[in-house]
Amino acid sequence: MAKKDKEDDEFRPTGTIAILAIFVVTLIAIWATIYMILVGRGGTTL
Amino acid sequence: MKQYQVSAAEKKFIGSHILVAVLALAVGSFFGPLQAFEHAGWDFYIYLKPFIKSYYQGLTVHGVLNALVWTTFFIMGFLTFNVIFGLKRPLKNIVLNKVGFWLMVVGVVAAAAPVLMNEATVLFTFYPPLKANPFFYLGLTLVVVGSWVEGWGLIITYLGWRKENPSERTPFVAFASLVTFVLWQICTLGVAVEILTMLLPWSLGLIEGVDPQLARTYFWFTGHPLVYFWLLPAYISWYAMLPKQAGNGKMFSDSLARLSFWMFLVLSTPIGIHHQYVDPGVPPVWKFLHSMFTFGVFFPSMMTAFTVVASLEHAGRKQGGKGALAWIGKLNWSDPAVASQLLAGILFFFGGIGGLANASYNVNLVLHNTAFIPGHFHLTVSTAVTLSFMGISYWLVPYLTGRKLWQPKWATIQAWTWFVGMIIFSNSMHVLGLLGAPRRVPLGLAPYVPAEWNSRLFQVGLGGAILFLSGAIYLVIMYMTATNKQRVESEVEVPIAEAMQDPALGPAWLDRWAPWVYAALGLIVLMYGPVLFDMIKNIALTSPGFRVW
Repeated sequence: MAKKDKEDDEFRPTGTIAILAIFVVTLIAIWATIYMILVGRGGTTL
Repeated sequence: MKQYQVSAAEKKFIGSHILVAVLALAVGSFFGPLQAFEHAGWDFYIYLKPFIKSYYQGLTVHGVLNALVWTTFFIMGFLTFNVIFGLKRPLKNIVLNKVGFWLMVVGVVAAAAPVLMNEATVLFTFYPPLKANPFFYLGLTLVVVGSWVEGWGLIITYLGWRKENPSERTPFVAFASLVTFVLWQICTLGVAVEILTMLLPWSLGLIEGVDPQLARTYFWFTGHPLVYFWLLPAYISWYAMLPKQAGNGKMFSDSLARLSFWMFLVLSTPIGIHHQYVDPGVPPVWKFLHSMFTFGVFFPSMMTAFTVVASLEHAGRKQGGKGALAWIGKLNWSDPAVASQLLAGILFFFGGIGGLANASYNVNLVLHNTAFIPGHFHLTVSTAVTLSFMGISYWLVPYLTGRKLWQPKWATIQAWTWFVGMIIFSNSMHVLGLLGAPRRVPLGLAPYVPAEWNSRLFQVGLGGAILFLSGAIYLVIMYMTATNKQRVESEVEVPIAEAMQDPALGPAWLDRWAPWVYAALGLIVLMYGPVLFDMIKNIALTSPGFRVW
């Protein structure tokens, strides 16, 4: 059975939040770049 | 405390899977760089003409042996180990598992023979109306059926454990492995129906034509969850083993990990039509619905990213790491099993982003059938999965054989060269795709290649060369380890990271199968039922077979 240490209680994954924030910003930037390529190729016209 | 002892016979059985997997990787990987070299204008296929007739035959060998055989055999071996070790009990009926394994081996031989004889140059997606030799389809069927039989062997082992432990939480590595097997059992129904009702009778001449649209829909019923069949075993290692190896860390949340596996089971099958956005025979409403549910998979993916990175952060801080990101440097990078999986995870960061772009109904139009797609899946199956499996093998093979890992430093070099080679290769493939370069085309021969592609095509070749070198180092390490005269002093410790909170305190509904399996089946009926009913009602077995090679 797992023991819950005091240091586990105090552990806050702040670095993880920072990494995931970088991930989300990168995701939006890359997705938006491809979206602009789509628009630039006339993807909004029939 | 002494760890559970897996019997010698079971170790040998698991090791047999790894052996077949590595042999498939050895042959398949030889052809991967040849595709890359061809793109760079270095066509080595002309020197292989007596044996390999074309670029497309090489591409088929590469795809079938690496994407289908290497992965499936490694996964079956690794998950069998997880179930035995996790439940701390032997296989209930090892004969059943052995029957499954040998069915798979016979299937691989039956499928590989026509591919190597240039009788099945249909690429790993085997889309009709490309028509292969019947043994190719028969072989694939045997591989799938064999994997089902092995899965049944594991399920009855679990049922035996559950009978004796009615109120205990299923240990995570066994639980997650069984979910992966159940996902496989469900999703492979698509390809089984495709082969048995159309492709096999068609190739045998029992029916005259085939319906390519229906066949593609069946294929992607299996094809997308296949990605999760590849990924989930790597996730099991990332969740439950890597934190321990990286710095004696603990799994941040056992409950989140279990919930994410259930969500993958429920959500990963009824979304296959997002691979068919430009198929004219699929109504747009179904493409839209499948695209929405594809984004649903983003949630368990982010839960996985959060839990795995938090567990690694826990390990890094235990080793004295400080700051928002500096703890990463404190992880146990000198262990090749750790370095491989951390590097695989870093590249998967970009693989996930590319996957979301592919899944977007509108943005996909820029990427569809371009070099972006192989660029993407070389970050997922060829790195997140393959490099992780290589990392796992760096402790699993010494564990199974009792022989020391040969030259651990070279194993670490192998991981880094794979990482660097893949960055160069995959980045240039992504960019080429955005510039409009098609996939599955020998671009070295194409007369329409604009000048702006040239530097990127060279980088594809360069990346392929580094990956070839890395793959060769891996194969040498595996061979030298398996034959190493130096034995380990004591049995290799299986790295299992305990959870921060006792799993028994987690919700009981996370350890109940029925609601999740019913939800998975129900969602499949809702998302595929009407579209498949319509396609089957209007089936047109009219397309003749083509042999274009």
